[in-house]
Amino acid sequence: MAYTYSKIATYTVGSGGVASIDFINIPQTYTDLIVKFSLRDSSNTGDVWDWLDLTFNSNTSNYSARMVYGTGSATGSVSSTSQIRYAYYVASTSTASTFGNGEIYIPNYTGSNYKSISSDTVSENNATAAIATLQAGLWSNSSAINSISLKARIGFAQYSTAHLYGVKAEL
Amino acid sequence: MAVVSLKYKSKQGTLTAPGDVDPGAMIPIATVTVGSGGASNAEFTNIPGYYEHLQIRALTKCSNADLTVRAQFNSDTGTNYATHYIEANGSTVAAGAVTSTTYVMVGIAASGTAGQVGGFVLDVLDYSNTSKYKTTRTLSGCDNNGSGYVWPASGLWMSTNAITSIKIFPASGTFQQYASFALYGIKRAGA
Repeated sequence: MAYTYSKIATYTVGSGGVASIDFINIPQTYTDLIVKFSLRDSSNTGDVWDWLDLTFNSNTSNYSARMVYGTGSATGSVSSTSQIRYAYYVASTSTASTFGNGEIYIPNYTGSNYKSISSDTVSENNATAAIATLQAGLWSNSSAINSISLKARIGFAQYSTAHLYGVKAEL
Repeated sequence: MAVVSLKYKSKQGTLTAPGDVDPGAMIPIATVTVGSGGASNAEFTNIPGYYEHLQIRALTKCSNADLTVRAQFNSDTGTNYATHYIEANGSTVAAGAVTSTTYVMVGIAASGTAGQVGGFVLDVLDYSNTSKYKTTRTLSGCDNNGSGYVWPASGLWMSTNAITSIKIFPASGTFQQYASFALYGIKRAGA
């Protein structure tokens, strides 16, 4: 039976919020992984958008990235050799009930090479300020990915969701 | 060049029969292809609510070049939408926003008259969640053989209603023949 694009797991944040969303014991039977998320910050940070820290296998080192972004009125590009902030989402001063929309693509997650990451994330807001990012990242580690953690800057609000999918190539 | 021959695999009997193939998490719901004479819009109605997310993959051809393509949900024509976008034309890049509009912008179109086409992939997460406003995310672009845009964007519909219909239309003019819009549902995890 050919499984090309399969749902693996969903996490929905309950009342009170959570500090992070973790997918653990990820099956090693797919070719690539996709994380889709719809997130909002749970705290009054006073910001329009926030970022999450993405880590694999509970490892917090050897990440790097570069991104292009737009903020509603300006654009820019930055890079980092310590970057684990591959995604952005809605924070407290944005329009109420509004959540971000993002996707992280992780090809060849079981391979013995370093892991490349691409992401496409947006916040939204009924005002000029909101952020959209396209990012390329690298985790310089040859281990197979068996867990993924999305750690909020402060916390994820109720009704935030994160979804993990597996993509399987015909080999 | 490494080439895998599906014909060869078929002879080996390693291709599964259509009835045996699990459709996976991405299910085609409907496609609208514009016929001769063009169309002022493309619309999906009676969208089932049992998927987790929606995705639209579109081929855009319009009567005018470099038009934005717009959308409305559930026939809502109020000023309940916002859009943020990045616009890169091959030499410069800019960002813009429109707020409290009567539509969300979901892509950019090329002029079908001159033979070019544009495209976009639009994702709407948690489209039936009645605790959230709906946020869209799109990757779009068109190349006119000398001009064009890369155009990623986000959109907001300030309603907690589940999305049951989507109307897509150009900023002006009409969609031309063979413009195409395919709607997919992304299954819920565990479904």
